[in-house]
Amino acid sequence: MDIVYVGVGEFLTSKTPGQTIRTLALGSCVAVITLDPKSRTAGLLHVALPDSSINKKRADERPGMFADTGIVKLLDEMKASGFDGTGALTIKLAGGASIMGINNTFNIGKRNVLAVRKCLWRYRLGAVAEEVGGNISRSVSVDIMSGRVIISSPGMGDWEI
Amino acid sequence: MSIADAIAKKIAEQPIPSLMAVQLLKVIEDEDHSLKEVVRLVETDASLTTEVLKVANSAAYYRGQPVTTISRAVLLLGEMMVVGVAICASSSIVFHAPLDGYNSQKGEMWEHSLRTAIAARELARYARKSISPGLAFTAGLLHDIGKSVISGFIAGSTEEMAQSCQNGGVTDFIEAERKLLGTDHAEVGYALAQRWGLPELLCAAIRDHHQPAQSDEKYKGLVYTVHLADLISMIGGCGTGSDSLAYRLDNNYVEYIRFEKEELELLLLKIQGDFVSLKTAILAD
Repeated sequence: MDIVYVGVGEFLTSKTPGQTIRTLALGSCVAVITLDPKSRTAGLLHVALPDSSINKKRADERPGMFADTGIVKLLDEMKASGFDGTGALTIKLAGGASIMGINNTFNIGKRNVLAVRKCLWRYRLGAVAEEVGGNISRSVSVDIMSGRVIISSPGMGDWEI
Repeated sequence: MSIADAIAKKIAEQPIPSLMAVQLLKVIEDEDHSLKEVVRLVETDASLTTEVLKVANSAAYYRGQPVTTISRAVLLLGEMMVVGVAICASSSIVFHAPLDGYNSQKGEMWEHSLRTAIAARELARYARKSISPGLAFTAGLLHDIGKSVISGFIAGSTEEMAQSCQNGGVTDFIEAERKLLGTDHAEVGYALAQRWGLPELLCAAIRDHHQPAQSDEKYKGLVYTVHLADLISMIGGCGTGSDSLAYRLDNNYVEYIRFEKEELELLLLKIQGDFVSLKTAILAD
């Protein structure tokens, strides 16, 4: 099977039929999945933190680490690989989980999800499906050919969003 | 044989860390020891020397020029971290075997332990009462050793246990373990740590990392550090399978460790960076 992995703070797009884009063990991180049915291009970004203003240098080195800088890069990359900016871009989100009993300081997962939504709104984009929050760690696979997005979690099996 | 007897038997069967790690701990426990004694011990062991130099020269510690001597490496890393490296290098069954009972693949236990160690070392800087970063690192590295013992005993029940955490049947995975086995990975880890002859402070950090409030007051600084570090490691995506994120935060940590929201985000960024560079350094041949 042709699988390409996206690590923490990374992003990529693909239009290779038969290929699968996968990111593992999201925890509080958020995966932003973009699908352009017209050019049959899919993209995935693995965001770790909400806002790049805490470390601009790191954001320059690895923009995908943060929601604000990562989404800009992912959309640029989608355009570079065939998304012509017209028609609907399908967006799905996964991750943003947390442990139990947390206070506000610790709710990085929720802050990540909110930051991702806010950045998408700037482009008048919104997610059609979200598999976020809760206390489970999720992995995501995107099948380029079909555009199907599959979530899996250890001991809980697989399901499509 | 009862489950308790079977677990006790399994603890007794676990390999003991190398004589070197135990000797190092003995030397360090003596308050009058000199750094030279630690250096001399490490230097007698070629493979440990290699491991220690690898860590000292990783991007996480690199200070502009290569470290080529053990005495410089020990100064840079601290004695407790050297002990941690020695224990890990000699306990591969505990750290590198897959934890089938947790649906956790080979390597995940090691990555979770390493990330927790790095997180504990960084959190120690925010402790209200001073905690040695090297000690926090080693406590983080060892906190889950009990999982290697009980993994086999929870196999077959894992899905049910994870579901029970999700639907509120139990408060967390620790309770699910206790319900099934009458004990849990923290308590079993404590028994294993005692068998290994680890100092009481490290044993306490292992036993109480999910119930820090129950720890002896004199250990609480370190115990809360490991408690937070473990959870930070999980939210960063480094868990050990089915129990990932199925634990509770004890908000009383603020009595022992203090940081703001933005500091936590910077901390997560630093931990992620150091984790990648240390993992690469330790795995590199």
